[in-house]
Amino acid sequence: MTSKLTRRGFLNLAGATAGLTALAACVPAPSGEAAAEEEGVTVQFWIFWNQPGRIADQIMADPSLPDYMGNNTLEFRTGVANEARLAAVAGGTPPDIGALGYYLDFMARDVVIELTDYVAASSVIKEEDFIETNWQQTHYEGVQKGVPAIEGFVRRGFFYNARMVAEAGLDPDTPPVTWDEAMVWHEALTQFDENNNLLQIGLDPYDAEGGVGPGNDGFCISDSFGFSYFDEDTKEFNLDNEEFAEGLEVMGEFIRLIGPDNLVGMRAVEGQGTWGGSFNAEVQACIIEGYWMSGETFNEVPDVAEQLRVSWTPVPERRRGVKLQQGGGHMVQMFRDGTYKDEAWPVAEWLQSDYWCDQIFHNIGWLPSYRPYFDNAPRDLFPGLDFIFNSVQEANYWGPQIRCEIEDFVRVKYGEFREAVYRDQISGAEAVAQMQELCTKEYQAAGFA
Amino acid sequence: MVALRRLLPATQREWRNFLLGVAFASPWIIGFLAFTIFPVGSALYYSFTRYDLVRDPVWLGMQNYIAFADDADFRLVAGNTLWWVLFSSPLGVFSAFLMALLLNSRIIFRSFFRAIFFFPAIVPVVVTAFVWIFLLNIQYGAINSTLQAWGFKTIPFISSPDLMKWSLVVIHMWSQGAAMVIFLATLQDVPKSLYEAATVDGANAFRRMWNITVPMVSPIILFNLVMSFIGGFQYFTLPWIMTQGGPSRSAEFYAIYLYRNAFQWFRMGKASALAWVLFLLILLFTYLIFRTSGRFVYYAGATR
Repeated sequence: MTSKLTRRGFLNLAGATAGLTALAACVPAPSGEAAAEEEGVTVQFWIFWNQPGRIADQIMADPSLPDYMGNNTLEFRTGVANEARLAAVAGGTPPDIGALGYYLDFMARDVVIELTDYVAASSVIKEEDFIETNWQQTHYEGVQKGVPAIEGFVRRGFFYNARMVAEAGLDPDTPPVTWDEAMVWHEALTQFDENNNLLQIGLDPYDAEGGVGPGNDGFCISDSFGFSYFDEDTKEFNLDNEEFAEGLEVMGEFIRLIGPDNLVGMRAVEGQGTWGGSFNAEVQACIIEGYWMSGETFNEVPDVAEQLRVSWTPVPERRRGVKLQQGGGHMVQMFRDGTYKDEAWPVAEWLQSDYWCDQIFHNIGWLPSYRPYFDNAPRDLFPGLDFIFNSVQEANYWGPQIRCEIEDFVRVKYGEFREAVYRDQISGAEAVAQMQELCTKEYQAAGFA
Repeated sequence: MVALRRLLPATQREWRNFLLGVAFASPWIIGFLAFTIFPVGSALYYSFTRYDLVRDPVWLGMQNYIAFADDADFRLVAGNTLWWVLFSSPLGVFSAFLMALLLNSRIIFRSFFRAIFFFPAIVPVVVTAFVWIFLLNIQYGAINSTLQAWGFKTIPFISSPDLMKWSLVVIHMWSQGAAMVIFLATLQDVPKSLYEAATVDGANAFRRMWNITVPMVSPIILFNLVMSFIGGFQYFTLPWIMTQGGPSRSAEFYAIYLYRNAFQWFRMGKASALAWVLFLLILLFTYLIFRTSGRFVYYAGATR
């Protein structure tokens, strides 16, 4: 049997279809809120790290997730590249909630919203449950614009490889507490061959956390040498000071012994100036790192982790006895241009849950700054972790969290000037004077003065 | 006015054809306006403002441009970039020309070598960067490991400020596959009769190359030189991936500084001003090369 569509039949069919479509369009659609209640919405949650991506399925399988999200769905994106994050924010299409880095930049430019009311209404997120510096960090000019989350435990520790230390004739049970003592270790541990080619280094003081700052991990050299580089109230820099100059010279001495050109090669041990790569490769015996060193080393190079010991970050002789620690780390923020704010807030609470924190801690080695979790976390899960946990109570100096709107500029200049010092192009005093002038000028030019 | 009238269609039929042509070309026209003209125009506007991508721009007039006069970073990156353009471009073109000459001669496995020499042109620049890092690294690079194993002192190819730019020049000379292919095509187009006549006149190999080959390929030398100059001013990816402008800022070129201002420090207004200065510099260089090219470029078909 064959059927033939005539021209008249086609016109009738087309007319009927158009009529029905017009009628359907006249039916009132449910309002946005009503629709959301019925079907739920999709909340966008982005983070810049790659590591959680490996366990994203496990994370999203949390049986308690629906308790937080209700009818809403969570879309979790990891490893969001730098340019993608900036383009989304600048283009007005950011996620609803996320940890995208640039925390202070976003706060200072009103890209993220105030969370005071959400926090006040929350039974999970309370100031007293977080490490103080981490909580401070989420505030800009007194207004809370983020919640500590995902990764945010303490940032300072002098980690060393006990086997390498013992082989150099040093006592692994009495680690250095001052820079002078650290230099003794450095000299004993740094080795060259007969052609003066570098074989092993003791301590690169600028590797990993030793070289960070200023930023959300604090500013290691200022924590150790005891100065504050910027006054948030007067908006004035205090880079041109004796302590900073001293720090550049003292730490520069470590690099001079290695040889600045050799250092670049050693830092590139895994190809890209890798953070801590030379320690894991056992060509660097000591490193200043955050708490994650224990878990990450255990997960990545278990043989090295067996030799891992940890102590206090060195300070200058005049500060002997200072046990320094630094909070900081990361947070989640809710974006002004995000679509679903109320629906996104429970994600900030979910990130403090035992399930989430367990996944991140056991599989990656990260800890939050959330006391209800870290007070009960297993302290012997990774080598050296016990010292780190105890340091929260035993530290007698916490590096300040300073919010300077051009901290990234200061950070880049710090990297440039410290290199100029250890390459003997300028003195520490000249470096800090020039930094002071440059940063003051940039602060004005960027419109924050 | 008369000239304009001549350009515009006169009759109704011509108008219809004209509009039809515009309609067919409209996808490209819209794309060109939206993705080229608009961003370029926006960058010009932003270059007169303080703009951080998120907040509204603040009008500054010429301040971004005037500030360059007092900007030590600007002077440093401009100096590095000029050095790079002046050394890498001629040496890159020279290397491409030499490779093309070699591959134009009767050597064995010529096709194989052509493929090998062209290969760097199709390798992604990120891969190129990593390969060279693993070759040149002072501690673990293949070259330095060999030197070390033989009892020699290692060479800080990419960790010494004195050697970094020269190492980049060597990498640049190695990756001239595309320019080489263009030279090769031109070399094969040089009439054999010219070489035969020169041989009869007693010209040796060097004279034949200098008096025949070089003049005949000189338009391509000009082309490759101009393209290399333009690329040189915009040089970014390799030094950024390899050392992020280091060591000691020896490889901090203009485009790296522009990137830092735009995407690290949110100084989009200043970055736009940097981009416009770069554009004008490239324009000036290209103009000067073309103005002077008559003295060293031979066009066989040109009429004077």
